[in-house]
Amino acid sequence: MSLELWLGVIVAALGTYLLRLLPLLWMQRHLKRRDGEAEVDALPKWLVVLGPMMIAAVLGVSLVPRTSDPEGWLATVVGLGVTLVVWRKTRSLGWPVVGGVLTFGAVVIVARVII
Amino acid sequence: MADTDMPPPSSGWLTGVREAVPLLGGYLPVAVSFGLISTQAGFSTVETLAISALIYAGASQFLFVGMIASGSPLWLTVALTLLINVRHVVYAPNIAPWLPKSRWWPWLMHGMTDQIFALAHSRLPQLPAARRVGWFFGAALLAWLSWIAGSLLGAAAGEWLTRRWPLLGEVMPFALPALFLVLLVPRITSRRWALALGVSIVAALLCTLTGLTNIGIPLAAACGAFCFYLVRLPAAAGTGGGKRR
Repeated sequence: MSLELWLGVIVAALGTYLLRLLPLLWMQRHLKRRDGEAEVDALPKWLVVLGPMMIAAVLGVSLVPRTSDPEGWLATVVGLGVTLVVWRKTRSLGWPVVGGVLTFGAVVIVARVII
Repeated sequence: MADTDMPPPSSGWLTGVREAVPLLGGYLPVAVSFGLISTQAGFSTVETLAISALIYAGASQFLFVGMIASGSPLWLTVALTLLINVRHVVYAPNIAPWLPKSRWWPWLMHGMTDQIFALAHSRLPQLPAARRVGWFFGAALLAWLSWIAGSLLGAAAGEWLTRRWPLLGEVMPFALPALFLVLLVPRITSRRWALALGVSIVAALLCTLTGLTNIGIPLAAACGAFCFYLVRLPAAAGTGGGKRR
């Protein structure tokens, strides 16, 4: 990699880091000015709504299976269903994910044998 | 920033590591793919690792090596890399109210990925303030190291791995939607939230299916937020904030 390309990597890295850092510094100053308010109340309302929407969007993006065939989509739907059921039973973070991934894998394998 | 009243980040870090483990299912296969593509594009293993460690933003890294390999101007490559990463600007302000004073936060912001944000947004409000720095440190460090390790694996043995266990690379990424679903379900506290979150999910899904993955996240989130303000259903009590649970 040439020196020019290394510089490109460093500028991209620094820029990405600042995109993550600067909004935090801005928000911390904003919160300092509104010291004493409850945590959620100190946030601008649009930000309170946007946070969960971003998580929902990341979920939507990650829903598309690596192999986007009927078996992959079937496994996604069944896997999500099992994830939900395990979450309702355990209310934990890890077990629903383990159950979902195992189910997803099993459905993909079985569906490809059958279909 | 004074941090004399805060405990060292070791407090709670193990919980952070443990709770970030599901992320590995999504990180490792993608990082292996990146390592493989990067070396195929002509980057050495060390250069691949440097890109993963320093830029540390999945989609933009693929774009970076792809554009360089195809001979695009460097300034344009860097500009588009940053453009993809602009979505990160809303992450830190969203969790800022739950970040206790500590000199560590500016350094830890390097680890603020889409997935760490989703996890932190849900978990930080539930943790005692004294354990939050440690928790974030543990979760972000595990994710960062797994991304670097996956890139190394992909650069060194990516072709062999994908030939040997093709199904693994297909199944493991399901850990991400499963995790995000678990993080999101408790936020459905009213029909209004359900509708808005549903709109956001479907919009992001459609964007991805039409090849607009990167713009898809902010665009879909904006659609969901717009829906939230537009539709006023009864029992719209949910606030989306962390005090709910």
